[in-house]
Amino acid sequence: MKQRRIVVVGNGIAGLTACDTLRTAGFDGELTVVGAEPHQPYSRPALSKALLHGGDTLSAHELPAPTHGATELLGETAAGLDVRARVLRLGGGGELPYDGLVIASGSRARRLTANDGGAGQELTLRTFEDAVRLKQLTAGRPSVIVVGGGPLGTEVASGCLSAGCEVTLVSDGQPLSRQLGGYLADLFVSAAARQGLRMVHGGRAELVTSGSGPRVLLADGTVLEADLVVTAVGDLPNTEWLAGSGLLTGGALRVDSRGRVDSRGRVRPEIVAAGDVAGFPTGRGLARVPLWTSAIDQAKVAAAGLLRGQEAAELKFQPYFWTEAFGLSLKSVGFTPVSGAPDYTGQGSDEDSQLMWWANPAGAGTAVSVNYRIPVPRLRRLANQGPAALGPPVPSQP
Amino acid sequence: MRIELDRPRCEGHGLCEEAAPELMHLDDDGELVLDVPEVDAADAAAANAAVRICPVAALRLSV
Repeated sequence: MKQRRIVVVGNGIAGLTACDTLRTAGFDGELTVVGAEPHQPYSRPALSKALLHGGDTLSAHELPAPTHGATELLGETAAGLDVRARVLRLGGGGELPYDGLVIASGSRARRLTANDGGAGQELTLRTFEDAVRLKQLTAGRPSVIVVGGGPLGTEVASGCLSAGCEVTLVSDGQPLSRQLGGYLADLFVSAAARQGLRMVHGGRAELVTSGSGPRVLLADGTVLEADLVVTAVGDLPNTEWLAGSGLLTGGALRVDSRGRVDSRGRVRPEIVAAGDVAGFPTGRGLARVPLWTSAIDQAKVAAAGLLRGQEAAELKFQPYFWTEAFGLSLKSVGFTPVSGAPDYTGQGSDEDSQLMWWANPAGAGTAVSVNYRIPVPRLRRLANQGPAALGPPVPSQP
Repeated sequence: MRIELDRPRCEGHGLCEEAAPELMHLDDDGELVLDVPEVDAADAAAANAAVRICPVAALRLSV
């Protein structure tokens, strides 16, 4: 079916990439993008990295202006969907009919307190406004508790340390070990300790907000207090507007390998989804993977899937992500966590600089660089083919 | 159209190379090399994709 009107819900990197890909593939019809945030798309990974760690500049997140020529409804939300009539209802009251729909409504920060009682004592970092607020607050060097030992929590802790704050990181288990594995987590924990981060493995933490300031209650009954509490305990997909649409399976949005929404086994050719909102076949089961490059890869596949259906290429997903904290910069290709020590290590220019590879008997391995400058295509080859892909001479940095 | 690189910003992710391998590549040290800084209409889409994918906005297109 020839589509004349495509509506994209979500104006983050997934929505933007979908718009660009539709245009590149030759779609010249009416394109409308609905974005809840009042801005053009920006780089979310930069918020907790360069923006939070950097000096006065607030431009590390900026992306070039879109060129897809879509009608942009910014500061507008999707409120409901009539799949049969092919109409999107907007929060502002309007309706948008479509022939093709891209769902890229993203996710939001999961919070420990339901609504924070309006007291604003639970800070999170998800949007540009969150980052600016945190940067302003940390400029006064308050004491900070960060709850959550994943990459975001450790980046926030690192950023607050670099602002001169006294920082406690509360995590359920060793920070980063669940995401990266113990070997890589140890590198970050050592670097964090050297920078003076206090780390508390408190099990599942609770946040108690009160008139006298926020408190964190640990599983063993210990109570921690600080001027600021920032939580980084995961994200929740923005699927509420799809309730009643018939698209959700057990409350979750799922897509097939071409990005087409699969609702309880029924694939809808005119509705695709991409980015943090959607679970997709990752090669290791169906899962949401809320990462920058994952959103981009998914969006390209979904846009092609919307235009070409069964003839479009399937997603061949290989995770890529990076994190920066405590003076360490890590890039990783392949599935993590990795277990044990690496099967190959290349030493870089100094003690902290390493290139590592973990073999995987079942297929592609995992390649990780820490403070080691290496092109990502090369890191991919290392992941897929092992150290032989690096070729002679043995890699080292002068 | 010209591709411009803000070198201090570049972190060597290399996603741009994957988007437009005919226009740019990272050398063995992970430094980005613009092979075709002046882009014609035929390569405009690839150049746009490369500029857009950079998570640290180290690339720009100027007319």
